Amino acid sequence: MRPDARPGWRLLAALATRDLWHDRKVSLCIVASLVAVIAPLLLLFGLKHGVVSQLRGELLDDPRNLEIRLLGNHDLDRAWFARLAAQPGVGFVMPLTRSLNAQADLMVDNQRFVADAEVIPSGPGDPLLGAHLTPPDGDRVLLSASAARKLEASGGERLRLLVLRKLDGNSERGQREVTVAGVLPETAFPRPALLVSLDLLVAMEDFRDGFAVPALGFASGRPAPPRERYARARVYANGLDAVAPVAGWLEGERIETSTRLREIESVKAVDRVLGLIFAVIAWTAAIGCVASLAGAFLANIDRKRRDLALLRLLGFRRAAVGAYVVVQAVLLTCLAFGVGYAAYLAGSTVFNRALGANLAADAFVCRLENLHILLAFASALLIASLVAALGGYRAIHIQPAESLRDL
Amino acid sequence: MTPPMLHIENLAIHRGTYRILLPRLSLARGEVAAITGASGCGKSTLLEMIGLILRPECLDRYELTGGEGATPLDIAALLREDRQARLADLRAQRLGFVPQSGGLLPFLDVRRNIELPRRMLGLPASSERVEEAIEQLGLQPLLHKKPAQLSIGERQRASFVRAIAHEPDLLLADEPTAALDPLQARRLFELIVETTQRLRIATLLVSHDWGLLRACAIRRLVGVPDAENNGGTVFRDAA
Repeated sequence: MRPDARPGWRLLAALATRDLWHDRKVSLCIVASLVAVIAPLLLLFGLKHGVVSQLRGELLDDPRNLEIRLLGNHDLDRAWFARLAAQPGVGFVMPLTRSLNAQADLMVDNQRFVADAEVIPSGPGDPLLGAHLTPPDGDRVLLSASAARKLEASGGERLRLLVLRKLDGNSERGQREVTVAGVLPETAFPRPALLVSLDLLVAMEDFRDGFAVPALGFASGRPAPPRERYARARVYANGLDAVAPVAGWLEGERIETSTRLREIESVKAVDRVLGLIFAVIAWTAAIGCVASLAGAFLANIDRKRRDLALLRLLGFRRAAVGAYVVVQAVLLTCLAFGVGYAAYLAGSTVFNRALGANLAADAFVCRLENLHILLAFASALLIASLVAALGGYRAIHIQPAESLRDL
Repeated sequence: MTPPMLHIENLAIHRGTYRILLPRLSLARGEVAAITGASGCGKSTLLEMIGLILRPECLDRYELTGGEGATPLDIAALLREDRQARLADLRAQRLGFVPQSGGLLPFLDVRRNIELPRRMLGLPASSERVEEAIEQLGLQPLLHKKPAQLSIGERQRASFVRAIAHEPDLLLADEPTAALDPLQARRLFELIVETTQRLRIATLLVSHDWGLLRACAIRRLVGVPDAENNGGTVFRDAA
């Protein structure tokens, strides 16, 4: 008996493909007009994304851009530090002593000597450490790159930490042997500095305040009381966008700060301006693309009226004829996106070769993430399908009788 | 007595004030009938209504009986309810069309055009009967050509083979011989009659060629001016 089967998708797609191939000149024109929109937009967005992420990357590479420096000395207790650490956007908090007490002389021998190096307390999560260095602990300290250069010291070397104080009219020199556990990268900190554990820094301040500090070789005198309050703090945001809110919170605590917000803002401004330029161009191109696609698809459907009517006559349902038109649009768009993507790859290689020469090895002038490509592909398909659906709506109203008569 | 394959009663449509009416038509299996009449009297319109691509305004009965002993299918109900999708399925399953100018898809070669109705129904692409018809009509050397490379006569022959490829119940042809020379026209008519009888289908064609219809002894359905209704055509069996 006669099967009740209806024409399947595969047959429909096969017919649509053969139709496009038969009509390849017109198909090529439609593909070319799509490529003419897709490729420049990909390149433009690639450039915008490449430039902005390059600038952001440079900002992020320098931990100072994440730092919120507290100006002046304050009276900050443990509870305050706990509240600060609980603020959203705070990446790293470390108590700090009064600024004059956070200095020390470093000496390997008489020739290798650094006076008044900054002593910075550090701990796990310190942005200065980057991803690889382990935080200082006890006698193990870290040197900034410039301090290491002056001391000609590298990892494993032992050096002396010297702290001077005047007590009852006598100059006294506290000292301690420490081991260089590592050296910070050049970009992390420009001046000579020593990264130590907070305990060591507190011991130095106690020593200068006249207490007995066995760790620096002075066991006589009054022992220092347990430390509850600090004059300052090292504060880092966990991202560029968090710098302003954290600084704002500190202002609310009546603590003046200094940040690199201006640099961050300028990158954001570049992002905004490029984003606006990109959006205007993209919308203009997309509207032009939709208009040209609509024209091409609708004209194509008028041209193929008889064929579409014939498909209806042969028993293709209305929806199938509408789908036929949409399938053709989708096929053309896939092809156009493929070609457009290839053009983008070629163009971005040119950009990266010609303009990226003075950038670091892993830097890009023009780049897109896979997600961007996917999104671009999806929106191209969506636009083409919508336009084709308009044409499909026209196509389903073609009467099968049109194929019988010579109109 | 077995019911006729096609039975229609009171099929009518208005074109403006002009009424086209078919009071009654019965076609048995293996029977060929021709719709004739003056130009513009509504022959093609009638064929479109019977071919389920034009919805009639008035229809008392339209039944199509599939195999021998099958229950007749009430197409009138489907037309009244305007069940477009079901009607499209019926066109694909039960009807075969030979349009005026061939109506082949330009992007498929002759073989694929002929196979299309069978593929649409999920049948094997080729059948013995199709191969026979290809052989008989001398289409063998043309199978890999596109319709644009064929003469009108060749297109018409290919279109005929496509129309019977899926072994429909009813074959509809709109002036299939209009563009053919007398010799080709006669050969196509003979082939239509012969195929109709051999496949036990029913065929309804539109033709002007009275001489040829008489020569092939084809039953005629003549469009005459409507006596009751001024302005209109009634199609009746010729005496």
